Amino acid sequence: MIRTVTMGKSTFKDIPDKFEAGTPDISGVIGLSVAIDYFESLDIEAIQAHESDLLKYGTEALEQVSGLKIMGNAPDKSNVLSFVLTDVHPHDIGTFLDSEGIAVRAGHHCAQPLMKRLGVSATARASLCFYNTREEIDKLTTNLLKIQKFFNG
Amino acid sequence: MNELTELYQEIILDHNKRPRNYRAIDDATHSADGHNPLCGDELSVSLRLNGDQIEDISFQGEGCAISKASASLMTTLIKGKSLQAAKEESTVIKQMLTSSDESDVSMEELGDIIALSGVRRFPARIKCATLAWHTFEAALNGDEDTTTE
Repeated sequence: MIRTVTMGKSTFKDIPDKFEAGTPDISGVIGLSVAIDYFESLDIEAIQAHESDLLKYGTEALEQVSGLKIMGNAPDKSNVLSFVLTDVHPHDIGTFLDSEGIAVRAGHHCAQPLMKRLGVSATARASLCFYNTREEIDKLTTNLLKIQKFFNG
Repeated sequence: MNELTELYQEIILDHNKRPRNYRAIDDATHSADGHNPLCGDELSVSLRLNGDQIEDISFQGEGCAISKASASLMTTLIKGKSLQAAKEESTVIKQMLTSSDESDVSMEELGDIIALSGVRRFPARIKCATLAWHTFEAALNGDEDTTTE
C-alpha cells in the first residue's frame, strides 16, 4: 500500500502493509479452511486402501485390453494409470472418453523428455481417486474396447 | 455419440489410417515444421513449386486422427493447384474450421475436406485441424517453423 503519491515520487507504507496491496483473497482462505475440515473428516487410511484396490483392479482390467500398454509399473506408484493404445492417439482417446463422461488427461503431460525416453509422443492417463468405483473402471475398460473397434475397425 | 461420429467421420478415420502423400519430397522447394505446443502434435509439410503450380505436396509427422486426416486431406486438395488457388483454399478452410457460424462458408464447393467441419463442436480440437494449414502457409511464406499458439 502507498503512503504518498506525487508526480515525482511515491512512498510506501511500512512492511508488511507495503506488500499487501488490494483485497486479500478472503473467499480463497475460507474455501481452503473448509477443504481442510473436509479432509480431516475423512479416514485417510480407508482412502488409501480404496485407491490401492482401484489401482490393482484397474491395472488388471486394462491389461486385458489387447493393444493397450500401461506406462509405469513402479511398485509404490501413485494411483494413476497412464497408457497407450496401438494406432489410436491419446487425444482421440480423450475426446472419445469425454463424450462418455470419463475424464482422462491426454498428451505429453508437460513431460516431453519422459515421453521421448518412453518412445511415445503422448499417453492417456486416468487418475483414480477416493470417489471413484470399480464400476467406473469397468466403464473405462468397456469404452477402451469400443475405441479400439472404432478406430482400428 | 452423434457429435463423435460427426467428428470422426469415415473419411477422417480412413485418412488417419491410410494417410495420403505421407512421405518426403527430395526436391522440395518449400517446407516447414508445424508444432502444436499444447498437445505435442508435430508435422512437417513439403512441397515442390514449379512456376505458379504446386506440383507435389506431402506431409510427415506425429499427431492425432484429426491432425493427420486434416494434413492428408490437404495434400489431396492442394496438389496440382496454382499458388493463388491454393492460398484461397487455405483461407476458406481455416475459416470453415474456426467459424462458429456454420453458414459462413459455402460447403458444397469444398468436397471431402468438409468432413473436418465437425471439429467446430470440439473447441479443444480445432487446432488439431488447422495445424496442417498453418504449416502449409508457413512453408509458402518461407518460415521454417510455425506453431498454432
